[in-house]
Amino acid sequence: MTSFLANEQALEDWLRRQAERHEVYWPQRMGKASYAFQRLRRRSPLRLDRLDDAPASKPFRASACVVPPGRLLAPMQELLYRFEPDDDGGYRFIPCLDPTERLIAGIRPCDLKAIHLMDAVNAEGVPDAHYLTRRAHTTLIASNCLQPCDAHCFCEAAGSLDWREGADVFLTPQADGQQLVECLTPRGEALCADAGFSPCDAPEERRQSAEAHRPQPFGRQFDAPLVKVMAAVDETWDSPVWDKHVERCFSCGTCNLVCPTCYCFDMRDDLDIEHPGCGSRSRCADGCMLPEFAEVAGGHNFRATPAARQRHRVKRKLAYLPTQFADGSFCVGCGRCGHQCTVDIDIFDIANDLAAASEAPHAADD
Amino acid sequence: MQPMTEFDPAPLIPRNARILDSRRVTAKERHFRLALEAPLGHRPGQFVMLSLPGVGEAPISISCGPGDEREVELVIRACGSLTHALHQRQAGDVVGLRGPFGNGFDLQDFEQRDTVIVAGGLGLAPLRSLIEPLAARPRRYGHVTLISGCRTPADELYRDKLRAWAQLPHVDVIRLVNDTAHQPWDGEVGLVTAPIPRLDLEIPNTLAVLCGPPVMYKFVIMALAARGMQNEQIYVDLERRMRCGIGKCGHCQINQVYCCRSGPVFRFDEVATLPEALT
Amino acid sequence: MKPKIAFFDMASCEGCQLAILDCEDIFLHILDLVEIVEFREALSETAPRFDIAFVEGSIHREMDAERLRSIRARCDWLVSLGACAYNGNVQARSNALAPGENMLRVYGPEAYHRTQTDPHYWPLWAHSRVRPLSQVVAVDYHLRGCPVDREEFLQLLKRRIAGALPRVAAQAVCVECKRAGNECVFEHGDTCLGPVTWAGCNAVCIGGGYRCDGCRGLLPGANLAAHRELLREHGLSEAEIDNRYRLFCAEEVAEATA
Repeated sequence: MTSFLANEQALEDWLRRQAERHEVYWPQRMGKASYAFQRLRRRSPLRLDRLDDAPASKPFRASACVVPPGRLLAPMQELLYRFEPDDDGGYRFIPCLDPTERLIAGIRPCDLKAIHLMDAVNAEGVPDAHYLTRRAHTTLIASNCLQPCDAHCFCEAAGSLDWREGADVFLTPQADGQQLVECLTPRGEALCADAGFSPCDAPEERRQSAEAHRPQPFGRQFDAPLVKVMAAVDETWDSPVWDKHVERCFSCGTCNLVCPTCYCFDMRDDLDIEHPGCGSRSRCADGCMLPEFAEVAGGHNFRATPAARQRHRVKRKLAYLPTQFADGSFCVGCGRCGHQCTVDIDIFDIANDLAAASEAPHAADD
Repeated sequence: MQPMTEFDPAPLIPRNARILDSRRVTAKERHFRLALEAPLGHRPGQFVMLSLPGVGEAPISISCGPGDEREVELVIRACGSLTHALHQRQAGDVVGLRGPFGNGFDLQDFEQRDTVIVAGGLGLAPLRSLIEPLAARPRRYGHVTLISGCRTPADELYRDKLRAWAQLPHVDVIRLVNDTAHQPWDGEVGLVTAPIPRLDLEIPNTLAVLCGPPVMYKFVIMALAARGMQNEQIYVDLERRMRCGIGKCGHCQINQVYCCRSGPVFRFDEVATLPEALT
Repeated sequence: MKPKIAFFDMASCEGCQLAILDCEDIFLHILDLVEIVEFREALSETAPRFDIAFVEGSIHREMDAERLRSIRARCDWLVSLGACAYNGNVQARSNALAPGENMLRVYGPEAYHRTQTDPHYWPLWAHSRVRPLSQVVAVDYHLRGCPVDREEFLQLLKRRIAGALPRVAAQAVCVECKRAGNECVFEHGDTCLGPVTWAGCNAVCIGGGYRCDGCRGLLPGANLAAHRELLREHGLSEAEIDNRYRLFCAEEVAEATA
């Protein structure tokens, strides 16, 4: 696969050219201290303003965004189909699939791995046509991380720091201020073919020498190896750890909704007021921390307590889904859930505590 | 308008189903017969997602035995907004239907075996889809003992069917209520666990099938285990509130298992180790 | 036949009715669905009976309670329209004070003394207790918020006509705030009641750059102890915290912490 070197101005110009043909998204500043993947409009000015404390606001330098980029593939709210009356007293159901060509830049390796996992989830079993249609028409440009995004990051511990699979183009900042541009797929090749970047050889060495400057350790580290942490989560059912970490929980679902590998949803119907008999169904992101998530008709709730819900969330990330998909941890260590939680409940701490408890000699679960 | 795409959205898109008739069976339940555009081709124990476009959708167990008719029968309890609205629909109205979903029962498992079926309340609706084929072919499936319990006589579903099955030589039917509530009643009074100790069973050649309210399973399984029945001989039909039916939305998850896909029918040894299965 | 709907107001600013009049772009479509038979903000007619009554405002005087009972008797279905009707809104703050003290604060010493001597003088705020509608009559559905959300009102109308009700999930505002992709209010240094407040507003205030003050009422089962601690950690005094809760949820917080 071809590789190039490009300076940041050339990359900016190139992305702006893409925005003339596709919807281009990259991380932009939002609010006072956050980033969001936002559409680069054709005529909108480049908004690459920096936060004072984070030199990571350029699209090809990764930034932690509140909502993960995977939500461009599985929107928080998404139309599934529309319906209208047919001539026979029934309905005509019209699926709503979105084949818009999109390009997402500034994806961090942790989020890239999350997209890879969501690709697997949505392709497995009964494929999800809505997701897969969007995915098939989306180009991913990922950026190597040479610094942890923030104090919550634990991507190295979660095994996703060096993830590259799924990216069409992979960028790595070089010591001289240039960016190494590696095309990883034919789509990436095609995209870069007329970019005017300088060809470069030995990309592997260039990437590795850049990565050699990463701080050691990179972000937070578990007290035990990841496999042991995952085994502890898998093996623990009754434990005071679950209760300890929900004392302050609001069951507000924030941890679910910002997670790049949460994909549960609820469905909603709507009727058009302008067109009698017409309407639509959409789905919206849902979360297993929300009190009513596992409630059945008649009111029985299979996970009635916050502790039971927390256990389910953590087990899904570190035990259930990894077992089903054999792709390692579904917690990619992005740190969003801990960062966004107003009362600092952090899956990192929960997992660490579970590992410590299972190491302790008196750990006799079940 | 429809964009070209290489992926099939059909599993999430309903089809039209026209109500042939809807009749009240208890104070809260109505029995629906729906005409379909094509045969459902279902197995006993499977479910459909039934919708009123613009209102909502809910998982409903299929209540009729497998067949190739373009019809399906469902018992719908009014317990939420959608099901209340469904109750107001009449013959000729059209509803949306997706499915069938879930694994259902494999009738081959029941060949040459005796079967004890324990149904609590609305649990009889899905189990009827199994009872019908078992009762229809005695030489293939063996003896059927049906224990059907409900709260009061007025809550009993399928009374005519229960009486008709009881007339068959290879079917025993035990009907119970928790409380006669001063209503006429020709069955027994008690919980569905009560008859289990006295059943005349050839345990090694018997299977048990359970469906009912969440509280019922544990106690019935204990009573069956006391008779020497192994987990591999017990099938449970579990209730969850599915949203998608295709193992994605997460609502029906029992520990790592998606009830809509791996269930709702489980051989009990498959879920005995799942702490969330029964409570 | 189109359902007949009617609007009434008790003690309120009538802002919820204005929020509904704000549907003017689709008002003709609404009139295809329902017949509005009583609506002081828009019509002069009154009606003896109606299918759905939307009642805005809280109940302060016995004569208001009587009027509400009469509305209840004339409709099949009664909806509380907005925070005043649902939980007493800001008015219910006064319930924390003795009626006499309340009177003194609002109308001053002269008026206060006059109520002691003049049996015909009884201004509005000399009531004994602010009540939400549900403390007087059975309420079939609540449209929460100050003011109500026009979209939620439309959903209710559409569903009701289809023979159903909208599902109101017992969820915190945080759910809709995250779905909208907002930056958390705590992230930019302010404090927020979103984690303990009923959702349904699509986090409109936070999306608009403000915070949630809890106008939709306290979420059932809200972890108030943790929320109080969170607000304390963000620098609010106990008195400030009480004030924040009392703004819109005076009745409910008093009940939840009783």
